[in-house]
Amino acid sequence: MTKLTRRALLASGAGTALALSADPRIGVGQTNEPIRLGVVTPLSGPQEFIGSFVKNGAEVAVDLINKAGGVRGRPLALEFRDEKANPAAATTVARELLGMGINLQFGTIASTVALAYGPLMQAENGVNLTCGAGSEKINHENYSPHVFRIGDGTYRMRAQARMMAEKFPDVTSWTGIIPDHEYGRTVWAIYVDGLLEFYPKITGKQPQIVDPIIVPYGSGDYRNFITQAARTPARGIVNATYGGDAATFFQQARPFGLFNNRILMDAANEFIVANALKTQVPKHWTGTHWYYAANSSPVSKTFYEAYVAKTGQKMPMGWAGEAQAAVAAYAAAIAKTGSTETKAIIEALKGLTFDTVTGSRTIRAEDNQAIKDLEMIQIEPDAGSDVGFKVSDYVKIPGAGVIEPATPGKAMVLRKPS
Amino acid sequence: MTRSPALRFLLVLGLLTGAALLLPLVANRGIVFLAGVVAINVVLGLAFNLLFSTAGLLSFGQATFSAAGAYAVALLLLRVPEIPFLVALGAAAATGAAIATAIGLVALRRTEGVYFAVLTLAFAELVHVVIAKTSFFGRNDGLTGIPRPRIGPIDLADGQAYYVFVILVTALLIACLWWVTHSRLGRSFRAIRLDPMRAAFLGIDVRRRRLEAFAVSGACAAAAGGLMGPLTSIVSPDLAHWGESTKPILFTLLGGAGHFWGPLVGAVVFSGVEYATRSLAGASDLITGGLLLAVVLAIPGGLLGLAALVVRRLRRRERPATVTDAAAEGARP
Repeated sequence: MTKLTRRALLASGAGTALALSADPRIGVGQTNEPIRLGVVTPLSGPQEFIGSFVKNGAEVAVDLINKAGGVRGRPLALEFRDEKANPAAATTVARELLGMGINLQFGTIASTVALAYGPLMQAENGVNLTCGAGSEKINHENYSPHVFRIGDGTYRMRAQARMMAEKFPDVTSWTGIIPDHEYGRTVWAIYVDGLLEFYPKITGKQPQIVDPIIVPYGSGDYRNFITQAARTPARGIVNATYGGDAATFFQQARPFGLFNNRILMDAANEFIVANALKTQVPKHWTGTHWYYAANSSPVSKTFYEAYVAKTGQKMPMGWAGEAQAAVAAYAAAIAKTGSTETKAIIEALKGLTFDTVTGSRTIRAEDNQAIKDLEMIQIEPDAGSDVGFKVSDYVKIPGAGVIEPATPGKAMVLRKPS
Repeated sequence: MTRSPALRFLLVLGLLTGAALLLPLVANRGIVFLAGVVAINVVLGLAFNLLFSTAGLLSFGQATFSAAGAYAVALLLLRVPEIPFLVALGAAAATGAAIATAIGLVALRRTEGVYFAVLTLAFAELVHVVIAKTSFFGRNDGLTGIPRPRIGPIDLADGQAYYVFVILVTALLIACLWWVTHSRLGRSFRAIRLDPMRAAFLGIDVRRRRLEAFAVSGACAAAAGGLMGPLTSIVSPDLAHWGESTKPILFTLLGGAGHFWGPLVGAVVFSGVEYATRSLAGASDLITGGLLLAVVLAIPGGLLGLAALVVRRLRRRERPATVTDAAAEGARP
């Protein structure tokens, strides 16, 4: 074995220190080195199914940009980390990426994780773009200049309430199946705010808000809650349970006929429940970040084709589109400012208008919230379809008409039932 | 090498602390952050081992104490920002000791062995549910935006100041745990572990000593947990999850339960494996778990146990030669 001499040890130590102290974030255009973007998203655990769309969407978006020549001649490169849907794990890997000099990050889908990033990114001089986190606190009371929501946020539920008022003016009594966590509480509070604003405006009727049924997160047995909901006078139910929980809830609600004479508005499960229940899925509406079949822009079509070619999945869900939007936002900001430095990117992102799979989006400078059009689809069972269900209706509502006013640093003022 | 155990301990602790303090000079801030987490984990492992190897108590609920400390500091820093940080840390340790005493009073009254272990697990789950359901603790979302405090003129938010603070406090906690382990109190803990009946016959109040061991372990774990909030800027109910309670057990088994430094070796190796496999999403937990299983099954004495075995064998190989040489020397006229 080669002996390690004192001289060699000193030389290698000094060399390592020198290499590590070098700042890799230099001006774009001075080098052809790839621009590294960090993707911190759940790649294992219960939310892996969402993280996989973020991962694939980000890879497809970066491939397309790199094939077109990159950003100012430099290719983009992605560095993935698994946040396991755990805020502590997420902040740990985000710090690790920051330590590697990767200050531009995205991929967050959980509200708690996005809320944890505010002070972290501010202290460690990084930027994070969330890809689906729904809490209103992100751009209101917990606003941080270093965190941007490049997708639909709080106002998606307001758009869903507006659509209900337009489509179902007679369904004026509402309750909710709300999981006991930040996302669930946000969904209910904002949806109620939307109902109380749009029903009187559009139908001239005051909606009746029935106290929501709060369910434990990760519950395996919803039967008590289902009978509770069935006893209420509500003709409309908003569901905020997610993923496997929602599939369990929908399945267990079938024998009780909970959805037979009621309108079901699901917050954002997209195809998750339908994929699980197939022909057993109840007819319902759901919010989606991006419905590929209804977006015919060249950006959407190219992205969809590349996504199918890469993954073989013909029905990608909207989180893939949110990842595309995040990559597009960074690419546009870097192209605009010519730098990858945090301060320059934050300045470039504020007020930025950029092209995405759902069309053009503009980031509101005051609170870092993107204004985008909101999409909703109606899903119903279809025994004749390969997948056991079909999308039977689609609605797009312009974001500008439903977005709440910007109040960075202050809590959002919500309408509450009297 | 010195023969005094205290001096030997201080030498090792000094070397480890020095190495940890020099880390920011050669590693990026991500690694330095992880080193801070490892330092806290080391104390959690050592606090568990005080119970397990010294007092003979198997606790499955250690996360209760670290989470209690983390929440105590987080709440104080967020709601009473003018409180001196050292007072907040002291409050965290006191909270840990109080909760440990309360749980111990119930759990140690009639149970021991596996029943005691299961009861600690039940209490831990109760605490986890209470945290996750109480608005005061931020429910499932936890508390975010925990600031890095000041200590007098020193702003711990500056550069690596908080990391240095974490290293110094964890070194102090390690020294406390070593002192307890080797003190008269520690010897009475060991006497109870070896033979509680004989210990009681010799006049040792077995229940009281076990309660003291539980309280000391809880206080140290809570003080270490209290360091976590300002480090990560978030505390969440996950900290009190039973999965967190298994980590100190794993560190101890991996490093070697029979050695004071065993949990330290375990925590460092565990974190190293986790870090090396971090980009292998999904497979990471499998690899870490598989390696742990292999080490625990193949080397029951842990890594330090294996090291000690190797050293003993090497010495045994050297010894006959020395004896022959000595005999030859003695045979000379």
